[in-house]
Amino acid sequence: MTLNLSASPHVRDRWTTSFIMHTVLLSLVPAAVVGVFVYGLHALFVILASIVAAVGSEALFCLLTRRPLSIFDGSAAVTGMLLALSLSPSTPVIYPILGSMFAILVVKCCFGGLGKNFINPALVGRCFLLISFGTAMTKFPSLDGVTSATPLKVMTDALDAGVRLNLDVTSMFLGTANGVIGSSIVALLIGGLILWGLDIIHGEICFSVLGAFTLVMGLFGGRGFDPAYLAAQLCGGGVVMGAFFMATDYTTSPVSRLGQLVYGCLIGVLGALFRILGKVDYFSYSVIIGNLFTPLIDMYIIPKPYAYRKKAIRAASGVKLPPLKQRIPKPVIALALITLIAGVALSGVYSMTKGTIEAHEAAAKAAAYKAVVPDAEKFENVETADAAIQALNGGVYGTNFGKAYINEAFAAKDAAGNLVGYALSVTSGDGYDGDITLSLGLDPEGKVLGIAFTTLNETPGMGMLAKEPAFTDQFVGKAVTQFVHNKGGASGDNAIDAISGASTTSGAVVNAVNAGLDFFHSVMQGGN
Amino acid sequence: MRDTFRGGVHPRGHKELSKEASLRVFDAKGEMVFPLAQHIGKPAKAIVKKGDPVLVGQCIAAADGFVSANVISSCSGTVKAVEKRRTIAGVLQECVVIDNDGQYTETGAFGTRQDITDITNEEILRRVAAAGITGLGGAGFPTHVKLAPKEPLKIRYLIANGAECEPYITCNDQLMRGYGKEIVEGMEIMLRLFPNAEGVIAIEGNKPEAIAAMEMAVKGHPKLRVQKLRTKYPQGGERSLISVIAGVDYPTSKLPADVGCIVDNVGTIYAVGRAVLYNEPLFRHVITVTGEGVRTPSNFIARDGTSFCEMIEAAGGLREGADPKKVISGGPMMGLAVSTLDVPITKTTNAVTVLLSDEVEKAELQMTACLHCGRCTTVCPNGLMPQMMADAIVAGDMERYEKKLYGLDCIFCGSCTYICPAKRPLTQNFKQTKAEILAKKRAAQAAQGGGK
Repeated sequence: MTLNLSASPHVRDRWTTSFIMHTVLLSLVPAAVVGVFVYGLHALFVILASIVAAVGSEALFCLLTRRPLSIFDGSAAVTGMLLALSLSPSTPVIYPILGSMFAILVVKCCFGGLGKNFINPALVGRCFLLISFGTAMTKFPSLDGVTSATPLKVMTDALDAGVRLNLDVTSMFLGTANGVIGSSIVALLIGGLILWGLDIIHGEICFSVLGAFTLVMGLFGGRGFDPAYLAAQLCGGGVVMGAFFMATDYTTSPVSRLGQLVYGCLIGVLGALFRILGKVDYFSYSVIIGNLFTPLIDMYIIPKPYAYRKKAIRAASGVKLPPLKQRIPKPVIALALITLIAGVALSGVYSMTKGTIEAHEAAAKAAAYKAVVPDAEKFENVETADAAIQALNGGVYGTNFGKAYINEAFAAKDAAGNLVGYALSVTSGDGYDGDITLSLGLDPEGKVLGIAFTTLNETPGMGMLAKEPAFTDQFVGKAVTQFVHNKGGASGDNAIDAISGASTTSGAVVNAVNAGLDFFHSVMQGGN
Repeated sequence: MRDTFRGGVHPRGHKELSKEASLRVFDAKGEMVFPLAQHIGKPAKAIVKKGDPVLVGQCIAAADGFVSANVISSCSGTVKAVEKRRTIAGVLQECVVIDNDGQYTETGAFGTRQDITDITNEEILRRVAAAGITGLGGAGFPTHVKLAPKEPLKIRYLIANGAECEPYITCNDQLMRGYGKEIVEGMEIMLRLFPNAEGVIAIEGNKPEAIAAMEMAVKGHPKLRVQKLRTKYPQGGERSLISVIAGVDYPTSKLPADVGCIVDNVGTIYAVGRAVLYNEPLFRHVITVTGEGVRTPSNFIARDGTSFCEMIEAAGGLREGADPKKVISGGPMMGLAVSTLDVPITKTTNAVTVLLSDEVEKAELQMTACLHCGRCTTVCPNGLMPQMMADAIVAGDMERYEKKLYGLDCIFCGSCTYICPAKRPLTQNFKQTKAEILAKKRAAQAAQGGGK
């Protein structure tokens, strides 16, 4: 009989690294299934390619460096899965393969493998692809197969245009809107909450990310604590995936609870600020920046052992304290109360002023439209137009106008209620430097009364010339069904001179106006 | 009222194996071996030599200094040798070996109940010291030292530790069920030393029968009460108990008495009662022989010096066809694995656990790099950061380990190692690191002393 010798403890918990990793992998399966179901079989190929490439690269690295084969711990598969879920379902299969290889070989293996990477490999893989193949990566097929913007993009554009948008939060929540493969919030939440319930991910991280993000969006997002707005912001742009699956990566997040709260808040605040100021989805970058702060946080935030905390020292020095009342530290109660009061006050102020704000917004919008339909006093909804815009669901309008979106359309009436014309808000995504949004005024017969820009960020001295009457006046007074963008000299009633050196801009404007005209003729007038 | 400490783990109890086995007296047949160092402090000095006749209850090695304890013979016979023998610790230690004559002739100096109404505190402590009582829970601190703190009036709690949080072990459960009255007598004697203290018998909730028995026993004793604790390891640790009952956490530089607490195992308290009331020295105590490899897991009142081999035989021997992988002195969380069954049980041996499979061996195969999952930090009962401590050891940053992370405050309960999904040997590293740091400090002190 030979007896084993070893130091205590002699029993171990059943959980292993591989169990944890495979549980994380399983928790992502609902999101993957919804993704494949909604976006089609190609999404499945993206997921499989990504996972196979991740696991394969790790195996290759292990073989080349003669290390023990570490692929069975499941962490490489998790990286591959996470990367795939953060990509567009129409991504050509080569991209997830490249991304996974970069994530595993460079970010994970070269820094020492499991538990040694300093930033989240999946996120870096995604950002590597975003930076290297920007255009291909940001194309999202709408469900009818046409490339279009994600709901978040539509929303931010609409916000820029000062336009109220009926975003379908429900479809974002379910994952049936345009987006990455893993965009089903409900599926991600199921997986994330299970992981939280099993204590695999730390609630301190995911909820502080979500909390800080919501707070900052509410305070500085420009729409107050409007639940619909905040819900849309939370459901879009990878916030939920970032909070539950990216930020919670063990290796790249702090160890202490306080450190985790600081880290989570940092990510949430950065994510919100990037979204407000950058107007694009930079949530990946905010998590990466959080990762980079982790060593610093761990260096300085080390919780003292219980015996060395102030309360314990006081108690040990003989002062008998009632143990129960001391359990929740006073500052926490105070902070919670302050937060609660501030929250209640803010939402109170918001709801009290909501009517006024809406009136102001309406007035501002009316003023913008009045500039293009001077005789109008009020703008009324047109049922057919609203239905058509709703049907577009934020997608591109028509096929001949580039990336043109119809935002709103109204019938313009004078004080007596007589129809004096129509006003439309149109956006073109083909500007040289971002979106161009303009208001288009038409008389009842479709003659152009005027155009005015609500968003124009083109190159000064070139594209910005589009704002000048020399350019805009070309449209006024014309009763045509379509304008022609003329790069040479103008010929004919419907020709618009291109702006010299900024034909991209003038082309986009012409496309936007044409889209508006087409919408007017085919939907509004046609419907009448 | 809090019913538990912060952190902790829930290893499988396995107590059902021996839970209902009532205490049986077991008298060994073979030679008996008594290590001179069974306690914390200086080893005792042998006061018998080869060929001397000895009786049950006779002191065979006397305490050497204040922090030391007498060693008492548990059998009658002749001294075979005073020599180095292998002990539970795995090393050769000086032992008194007695050829057991199997008669168990007692000295006659103990056994009759005495009137202790007028007994002085000094006499209580003298009897405890003479009886060679040490803590029976594991560490083996001499009890007469523990019961003589600098300021006995400042002691607020006398805690009887009946938590028994180690998996497999059930002997204290049985002791409380069968000897509640005697434990209460022991507590009443100890409370004479600490007039301002309240006696609390702390028992984990997985021992409802013991709780009921002790509730019954404390009736009519206004200064005593029973406190039910949540079943969680290491609930029976001194610090965990004090944290729950007194609401105090204290650093390792302090003793429980410094925060107004005295903690003693229920077995120790029973022994104190026997020593003061009957003049009976400590030569036998309760022990569980259990594990999947044992035919009839049992609880015994066994004599010190009995070999592991005989203890296992007493429990029906090894199970048919069983091939034990590991035999542990104590429970699996903090117990010591022994390399041979030819080692004696000592005062601090509360269990012999025979395991058929070794989870450590399996864990070694599943070991991966640290994930930084933080599970270890949530289970540490002291609020330490095991994962950061392990990183500091790898980085060789002893300054951070000691000053920032308070690494020397680790009590080696094993919770972090138990829970670690990457199967890192954390506790083992911490033990070694503490030994290294202390050795360095001693060396530095010695060098400084030599320079003067």
